[in-house]
Amino acid sequence: MLIANNLTKKYGEKIALNNLNLHIQTGEVFALLGQNGAGKTTTINCFLGFIKPTSGDVSINGVSVVESSSDTKRYIAYIPETVMLYPNLTGVENLAFFSSLAGFKYSKEELSSFLTKAGLQESAHHQSIKSYSKGMRQKVGIAIAVAKKAMALLLDEPTSGLDPKASNEFSEILKELSINGTSILMATHDIFRAKEVAHRIGIMKEGNLVSVIEAKNISANELEQLYLQTV
Amino acid sequence: MIVLLIKNFIRSKGFLVGLAILFISGMIGLNIGKQFLDKNRDIIEKTAHFQKENIHRYVQYMDKEMGLLLYYVRFGLVNETPNIVGLSIGQRDINPSLHSVTIRNLEEQKYTTDLMNPMYQLIGNMDLSFVIIYFFPLIIISFGFNLVSEEKEEGTWSLVLSQTSNPQKMLRLKVGIRYISILFILFLLLIIAKFYLSIPFDIYLITYILTAFLYVSFWFSLVWLVISFHKSSSQNALILLTSWITLTIIVPALMNALVIQLYPIPEAFSTVLESRDGYHTQWDKAKEPTIEKFHQLYPQLAHFQHPKNKDFSWLWYYAMQQMGDETAIESSKILKEKIRKRENLSKTLALLIPTIHTQLTMNAVCSSDMANYLKFVEALEEFHKQKRMFFYPKIFSDTPVSSENWDNFNLEYFKNQPFINLYMVLLPYIITTILCLLWANINFGRKKYTL
Repeated sequence: MLIANNLTKKYGEKIALNNLNLHIQTGEVFALLGQNGAGKTTTINCFLGFIKPTSGDVSINGVSVVESSSDTKRYIAYIPETVMLYPNLTGVENLAFFSSLAGFKYSKEELSSFLTKAGLQESAHHQSIKSYSKGMRQKVGIAIAVAKKAMALLLDEPTSGLDPKASNEFSEILKELSINGTSILMATHDIFRAKEVAHRIGIMKEGNLVSVIEAKNISANELEQLYLQTV
Repeated sequence: MIVLLIKNFIRSKGFLVGLAILFISGMIGLNIGKQFLDKNRDIIEKTAHFQKENIHRYVQYMDKEMGLLLYYVRFGLVNETPNIVGLSIGQRDINPSLHSVTIRNLEEQKYTTDLMNPMYQLIGNMDLSFVIIYFFPLIIISFGFNLVSEEKEEGTWSLVLSQTSNPQKMLRLKVGIRYISILFILFLLLIIAKFYLSIPFDIYLITYILTAFLYVSFWFSLVWLVISFHKSSSQNALILLTSWITLTIIVPALMNALVIQLYPIPEAFSTVLESRDGYHTQWDKAKEPTIEKFHQLYPQLAHFQHPKNKDFSWLWYYAMQQMGDETAIESSKILKEKIRKRENLSKTLALLIPTIHTQLTMNAVCSSDMANYLKFVEALEEFHKQKRMFFYPKIFSDTPVSSENWDNFNLEYFKNQPFINLYMVLLPYIITTILCLLWANINFGRKKYTL
């Protein structure tokens, strides 16, 4: 479970997040929509413990990130907007490395199956990352997150750079993770992907969560209209 | 994880280039050391041969007067050059390892030495010590300056931080891999050196190895300290290169200036002048005072007298030569004392500066430091005195040249076994390295791991 209580982050006079309250249940997918600078990435970074909130608190599975961010690391997996990997290693090796950082040791077959499941063609598994496109790196990032078997998944524009087919495959992975009980917080610009995957959608503007909608109660077009009116 | 970190490091282009540069320059350093040893050995062998040949030739030509013969004949004293000198040539390229002297005025003869290429003396010898002191830190810096910042700048850091609560373990492994790879080259070069230069495995080689190992460790701890401030790659590179320039060039130059300022040695000039004047002026003076002084110095020779109504005698001539040394004796003492003080001050200040401490320690264990040369000069003075005391009675009593077995006068050897205080050698590194690591640890703890 991901919880933000009165979360505020200020950079000098600028308010990046203003009193944000968020409760994401086990197995729930919550999508954050908003323009650049709305506070989506700041919210995710607060959950990751990368930045310290000015006030308020964030907790993962009941553990405060502010007080013990290192303890919460084992509950979360993260896919950044642009997944950057070690260029001198192959896809499989990168996955093995990041998994070992998280304390997991997988066999070659298991590593390959994670990559295949993330949509990376088998011929690329043992190629150097130097030859990977952005989309291929993104898929390795997805495999890294899935292999961590975390309770919560934090995604910052995860489908950025993915082709429509890969994007669709990614949505399926998220759904499967959600069914298996993973809580997912996803920052995105992709209204249609948010509608398709998320249970709830929040729209942010200038650090405020201005509206939260149940995805099943709204069509993609209505969501788009609402989004455009809000921002 | 470690296997993958090794793979990542080995596959980077810089890895092989860096290690290859170190290895090749190390081998060049060893070769320069070998050439120095060979040249030195050659000089000694030739001198031994020519000393015998010259004595025989002079004995044939000047078989009447021993005084005249000993005006020309030179006797050589060798400052024994252990093979470990090949690792650190130090002062041996400036100060000769062999002095061939007559029994005449010694002071002037001390400064008679081989002609050297001044360009060589300006840049110094690129021996293994030079490679360790100057090149190793540069490659260590290039391997480590961006250990953390590279992750941040290449974008992998956020993923790393999301995967583990303890990225320091990964960083330690990364620096450990680089440390081991550098140590591998260092020990490989030292093993090659041991056999290539035929260096005995003794306390001196062990001290040299420990010094090199701790010097490399110091530089890694400095790199670890700098990266603990979490600055950008360019800032880290700038800080580390500035440290390198400061520690290897600026501080030694400042220290040298300070030592010269504190202990100026005008005596270096005055000793030679006084020595020359000491005997040259005797030509124009009455002979009796010169001989009187000589008899005061050597009462056991007081029964030898200058023949009355004669302008020249070997007693007077060698007494006059002796006066050269006696006149300069005070300046010579002060000169040696000041050089010793310079050496001591340098060694004390060097305890705070690992680069200079390394250079001085390596020179000391390789018997190529100033202390070794000073001891050699003292041995030369004793050697010269013994020769004088042996020949003076024979010269003054007109002993026939043929009565002496000249084959007995071979090269003689001075052997110095430097005393190594391991605590003083190792502690400065251990203290500075621990301080760097502690400071880095505080930084890593304080800054936590953020983007």
